[in-house]
Amino acid sequence: MPRTDYQRQLRTLRADVVEMGEVVLGRYDGALTALETKDEELARGVIEGDDEINETYLDLESDCIGLFALQQPVASDLRFVAASFKILTDLERIADLASNLAGYALDAERQRYPEVDIRHIGERARAMVADAIDAYDRGDAGIAREVALRDDDIDHLCETASGTVVEDLLRTNYGDESAAILEDTSRLLLTIRDLERVADHAVNVCARIVYMVEHDDELIY
Amino acid sequence: MSNTTLNETERTDEPQTPRTTTVGESEETIRPSWRQYDFEGDPKISVSGLNVHYGDDHALKDIGMEIPEESVTALIGPSGCGKSTFLRCLNRMNDRIRAAEIDGNVSYDGENIYRDGVNLVELRKRVGMVFQAPNPFPKSIRENVSYGPRKHGDIRTGFFDRLTGRDDRQQRDRIVEESLRKAALWDEVKDRLDENALSLSGGQQQRLCIARCLAVDPDVILMDEPASALDPIATAKIEDLIEQLAEEYTVVVVTHNMQQAARISDQTAVFLTGGELVEYGDTDRIFENPNSDRVEDYITGKFG
Repeated sequence: MPRTDYQRQLRTLRADVVEMGEVVLGRYDGALTALETKDEELARGVIEGDDEINETYLDLESDCIGLFALQQPVASDLRFVAASFKILTDLERIADLASNLAGYALDAERQRYPEVDIRHIGERARAMVADAIDAYDRGDAGIAREVALRDDDIDHLCETASGTVVEDLLRTNYGDESAAILEDTSRLLLTIRDLERVADHAVNVCARIVYMVEHDDELIY
Repeated sequence: MSNTTLNETERTDEPQTPRTTTVGESEETIRPSWRQYDFEGDPKISVSGLNVHYGDDHALKDIGMEIPEESVTALIGPSGCGKSTFLRCLNRMNDRIRAAEIDGNVSYDGENIYRDGVNLVELRKRVGMVFQAPNPFPKSIRENVSYGPRKHGDIRTGFFDRLTGRDDRQQRDRIVEESLRKAALWDEVKDRLDENALSLSGGQQQRLCIARCLAVDPDVILMDEPASALDPIATAKIEDLIEQLAEEYTVVVVTHNMQQAARISDQTAVFLTGGELVEYGDTDRIFENPNSDRVEDYITGKFG
């Protein structure tokens, strides 16, 4: 096959994006565990590791620009590089959110709402990201569409969880504890929002995969 | 245009190997819808059932294609795919090749140019052609541009014309200036119109050939690899010029440079080995999402 070096660069880009996705997932897992166990060392590791992810992100972005400039990809190659370029941004944002979550783990002292299952929501969002990366690697628009559909469930879980917290806040008079409670609940609401955004980024990744594979922009908005 | 140039083009472009219907590793059935290009307005050029044989070689197979006016149509495909043969069918240039058998219909504004009694001189005046290598006459810049109109009797500047007081020098100068301006060459040559055209650079010579083609007031300009012998700056000037020309003329360009086709054309037709038109449509779509896997493989360079 001609243009072997170009074909190799495309394969390398795919492998690198998948690898970055796996590293991001690892950080996100660390953040979820830290939220649960209050493991400070783990949380700090996630926060400090964000720089490394940013560097990878910039390197891969630069690889994409190099491909555009030097190889002028067209057709499915063009859609692949363009999709990868956008997907990288979403992966980097997921890492930022993991870093936020790890930060909440450092601050949080009390688990006031046992009925709000952060671990469960977090795992659901994680599965969406993991499946999206898998769909990208396989070039499977079917998986991507299915993953995107799961977003409604996460939105619903997050809405219910936020509702529980807000209702409790409105209903209960915490007296002298109010300030501390407010801090904890705000943090919890932010946690819920960030998990929901992780799932949103997974949907963005899926939208680009559907475009990449089928030249269909239905999920891009 | 000289016979020498035509014969040269013929030698380099004709298929050297037996025709095959497989391209790369894939084989597929070409769907008629891939070649169906919908555009507004009447076509300037309509081709249907066009077949060309060179002896036993079936160089073009049942080509159907409608070309919109005042736009740039790019013809791309690997060597030997028939794109130059197709281009030359559009002004009956293949008539000059004895071995070529041509069947089918090519119409301009609804008039079939392959019917009996077509005036070929008039046809080639309406349908001009620019070749790969710039081929100015070894005459002055002015004479190069005025040659066509003089030949066609549009202007009279000969010895007897002067004797009989029918000299059209002013008209000639007007046509020369207008044609050179349209070919974006006027500013570079206006002070040396009497210099030999061969003293110009390659890119200027090619623009001169375009000016020479414009001087006889064509409707359609056919270009066979018009920039492939030029450096990037001269190429960029030709590309800009092609886009400008499309405001007034119907331009059909054969190119091996796919990025060039992507940059300058409104619609692209992809011919693949075997003399088949595989896909034809908006250039944007062809380069972003072609229907045919073989076209995909060709434009992404997966076979060559």
